[in-house]
Amino acid sequence: MPIICLGLEGTAHSFGAGIVTSEGAVLANEWDMLKPSQGGIHPREASRHHSDLGPSIIGKALDTAGVNYKDIDLIAFSRGPGLGPCLRTTATMARTLAAKLGIPLVDVNHCVAHIEIGNLESGFNDPVTVYVSGGNTQIIAFAGGRFRTFGETLDIAIGNMLDVLGRHLGMPFPAGPMIEKAAKEGRTFHSLPYSVKGMDLSYSGMFTSAKRLFSEGVPIPDICFSVQETSFGMLAEIAERALAHTKKNELLLTGGVARNNRLTEILTGVSERHEARFHRVSPSLAGDQGAMIAWNGILQYLSGHEIKISNSHVLPKWRTDEQDIIWRGQNE
Amino acid sequence: MSNTILALGAESVIFKTRRWNQFFVLKWRKTKPYLLEEIDTLLRKTRTSKECRTLTIARELGVRTPAVYSVDLNNYSILMDFIEGTQFKLLVERLDQKQLLELCQRFGQSIAQLHQGGVVHGDPTTSNVIVDKHFHLWLIDFGLSEMNATVEMKGVDLHLIRRALETTHWDKQELMLNATIEGYIDTIGKEAEDSLSRMNEIRERGRYH
Ligand SMILES: Nc1ncnc2c1ncn2[C@@H]1O[C@H](COP(=O)(O)OP(=O)(O)O)[C@@H](O)[C@H]1O
Ligand SMILES: [Fe+2]
Ligand SMILES: [Mg+2]
Repeated sequence: MPIICLGLEGTAHSFGAGIVTSEGAVLANEWDMLKPSQGGIHPREASRHHSDLGPSIIGKALDTAGVNYKDIDLIAFSRGPGLGPCLRTTATMARTLAAKLGIPLVDVNHCVAHIEIGNLESGFNDPVTVYVSGGNTQIIAFAGGRFRTFGETLDIAIGNMLDVLGRHLGMPFPAGPMIEKAAKEGRTFHSLPYSVKGMDLSYSGMFTSAKRLFSEGVPIPDICFSVQETSFGMLAEIAERALAHTKKNELLLTGGVARNNRLTEILTGVSERHEARFHRVSPSLAGDQGAMIAWNGILQYLSGHEIKISNSHVLPKWRTDEQDIIWRGQNE
Repeated sequence: MSNTILALGAESVIFKTRRWNQFFVLKWRKTKPYLLEEIDTLLRKTRTSKECRTLTIARELGVRTPAVYSVDLNNYSILMDFIEGTQFKLLVERLDQKQLLELCQRFGQSIAQLHQGGVVHGDPTTSNVIVDKHFHLWLIDFGLSEMNATVEMKGVDLHLIRRALETTHWDKQELMLNATIEGYIDTIGKEAEDSLSRMNEIRERGRYH
């Protein structure tokens, strides 16, 4: 009999409940995202969103999966990294369920879960992962028993940068899709600060200059075009450094910004140059959702890990490389 | 003239070539067709000229670097000395602890010499350090280097060293980082504090709070 896991995700502005079996079948994956009125994430507002909608989202997931509470063998929750209030609300729901149903609880690292669900979908074993979302911009790879962050943004995350810029240009939240659409109409490239430091990058200079272009009357499509080419070019470069450095031969693109087709095209080119296979995680598994938490919960549980409720305090600053990846060998 | 490919880097193709009965390295920044052409061209041009300039400046600051013989800004390539030796990255596992710490200290000293001269390396990983048979350190790969460095830029340079140690030499990262910082402080003295505290601050940015 396969094990069935209910996974709860709630690190930032999305709450999700996913139901996944130990055979890797995603039976349900329901979520709802709080659309902030002012852009940026408001921790308290988001945690209220999670506690208000959480129970009904979990109920919907059970309906979709066609299972009952008594069919669930395991509860997994996103323990970090993320916003304290959101994490605590989600963890409380997970603990309550685990206690009430008398089943084990597993604590999952959000960033690691993004990678492993991508591996499940792609069949990859050991990729360099480009994880790009509203809150994160990281290049992660497995080395020495841990997932390690080879590069990341030194200031704002790419998704956040696109959303805030979009708001400035008069676009509704989330602005990413509209920026992509507008960029297709762009004709003139305006040079913007390109800032790569080793395998890290920085977007704040580019962001400031892009806003200046707007006040100088440069057409919005040209701004979007220039911003995409510059910011994605920087990502491509650090992904390339990580591939050259680790000599791995798989490249995985995940996170909400993975929806962008131009970014996908650029990273496809990168993977060809380095003779690596490429996979973009499909939108329903690339965003913040519960299925990835459930799947990682299963991986951890089957290799012998669970957590006592009394030890399950949340970890808002949980670094990707702080978790022993016990379900993988030492040096895959 | 004979060419063999020595390495395929993130940015470049490295050839080992024999001319005038001597070995040289030809570093060629090949085009990347998946980038916007304007960006590709600008990067190839600025990286090539920065690398060339800083290789020379670094040597004037007392850091061993390959001498540059010619630059081709149409083809974005640099002809420089071939350094006979081993990448520091590959040596780490083979050295005994005393030798390793000694090399880390010298690495820290070299970075400090650059910083004192207002230069940051920009990609200070153990892949970009060559150790020769006399146990001398050579720094290479200056395409991301900058001059007129601020405290912030030096802090980032040190942050990148820590990052490289924790991703590549995870089982020795603390030892290696401490020795590197020791070498850095030995050379710069009290002023090292500013860049070192900036290094710690930078690590916390970009993360959730
Ligand atoms: N002057 C040199 N002498 C000997 N080996 C070199 C020299 N320059 C580069 N190499 C070798 O080639 C590799 C890649 O060169 P590098 O300049 O770091 O290119 P990239 O910018 O692509 O990383 C180095 O790690 C080193 O092993
Ligand atoms: Fe995420
Ligand atoms: Mg290099």
